[in-house]
Amino acid sequence: MADPAVASTHSSGDPGILAAQDRDDVVVGNELVRFRYYTRVVHWLVALTFLICLFTGLAIWTPIFGWMAPLFGGLQVCRWLHPWTGIAFSFFILLQFLHWAGEMKMTAADKRFTQLKNFLAYMRWQYHDDEVGKYNGGQKALFWLSSLAALGVLVTGVVLWWPELFSAPIREASWILHDITFILFTLLIFGHIYLGIAEPGTLRAMISGTVSKAWAKLHHPKWYRDVTGDQRR
Amino acid sequence: MATIPGLEVIQSSASLRGTGTGLRKLPVVSKLIDTSTCIGCKACEVACQEWNDLPSTKTVQDGSYQTLPTMNAVFWNLIKFNEVEVDGQFAWLMRKDQCMHCADPGCLKACPAPGAIVQYSNGIVDVNPEQCIGCGLCETGCPFDVPRFSQQTGKMAKCTLCVDRNQVGLEPACVKSCPTGCLHFGTKEDMLTLANERVKQLKADGYANAGVYDPQGVGGTSVVTVLKHGDRPELYGLPRDPSVPAAVRVSKNWLRPLGLLGMGAVVIGLVGHYLRFGPRKPPSPPPNLPAA
Repeated sequence: MADPAVASTHSSGDPGILAAQDRDDVVVGNELVRFRYYTRVVHWLVALTFLICLFTGLAIWTPIFGWMAPLFGGLQVCRWLHPWTGIAFSFFILLQFLHWAGEMKMTAADKRFTQLKNFLAYMRWQYHDDEVGKYNGGQKALFWLSSLAALGVLVTGVVLWWPELFSAPIREASWILHDITFILFTLLIFGHIYLGIAEPGTLRAMISGTVSKAWAKLHHPKWYRDVTGDQRR
Repeated sequence: MATIPGLEVIQSSASLRGTGTGLRKLPVVSKLIDTSTCIGCKACEVACQEWNDLPSTKTVQDGSYQTLPTMNAVFWNLIKFNEVEVDGQFAWLMRKDQCMHCADPGCLKACPAPGAIVQYSNGIVDVNPEQCIGCGLCETGCPFDVPRFSQQTGKMAKCTLCVDRNQVGLEPACVKSCPTGCLHFGTKEDMLTLANERVKQLKADGYANAGVYDPQGVGGTSVVTVLKHGDRPELYGLPRDPSVPAAVRVSKNWLRPLGLLGMGAVVIGLVGHYLRFGPRKPPSPPPNLPAA
């Protein structure tokens, strides 16, 4: 446990924000540091490159989203930007994977969380499990699924980028898989963004890096106990 | 070549409809290639290069008479010299390789750039380079392996069936140059009649399997080919039963509507969820926490 006084000696700035630069899982005043600076930067680089890939890709995917193309300078630019941003996205999500993979092993509580009836109860705000740690089963599932999906769009995307190098069946399969993967990936991210908004305090964790004690106790009770040392349930 | 005087666009890539009114009825035009009378002189190759102002290409000597191994973005008309064995006998089969101008063009279906590939009301399939984004999907969409990409511009180029010539009453340059009468140009109806006459003659000459290659899997093509061995088009490097590739159909007809529906449903569902359940706020002050 860090001494909040240490952080606050650096400057007159918000001690939580200062502590959130380089240390996770510490208490600062009434806040817990959830995501240090590196975590947040990597997450937002992944998010930014994902969204550029999504919007440029949607414009290419169907003329219904053709209006997105002018946002980037037209369909010609989208066609150029999409694969290169895809490379950047792959790089950043690889960094994120290496950063988080160790913390994303599914525990017994996480497996309980991912059972459909429990997940549906969660979505009615009615599921609580005292053993949920820093990440719940849904967040871990999102991590593994999006890492897998990123690998999928990368591999199939490379084939679509250089069709001359691949045989027709491989190109056809890649086309279908690129479609399926990006659709499912996008739906997953819709859900991810929604929960970041619908559960106040969550988005803030990825911006300033800190969460309130009440938020931590509600969403991640085991993590709360581990970080604060407060064993009361 | 998107706007050719007197022609309407009836199909356009990445668009629901073409740009025409659909009122003008034009006969579908076709080129007839009678492979049985091709002598491999390559006059058509030269005529194509000349008329379309295509730069000369360094040829490749690969042990046959063929100019290049395959077509490229500045070489749209290639005579393929196929050395094959038919019924235990050597056969030297020549075929003019070019865009087939399908009635149901896989390239156009595959193309994501609005208006980059169009089909005119006379059946000709054409590329509009200003709209082409060089993505390469038409290459996967084409069952005949025709689209090629320019190394300078990254854009697709292929045979236009000399749409610019036939709009002023001229036949395609290759047809004009053919010295043996192996190439003909006219309405599709006339070309099919002529092709069937040729097949009858070939059958009388002992080629019992002679036939017309006008594959129905792509709705027929505006390049009609007479084959001495009509039962074995693959001897000439032609696919036996070409169709718009499954990937194009699955992607455009199934995954795209399903994906759009899924995205719409999820967005509406999430909005509905928010209205029904609202934000999940932490209790304040937390019931079993000491006040901060």
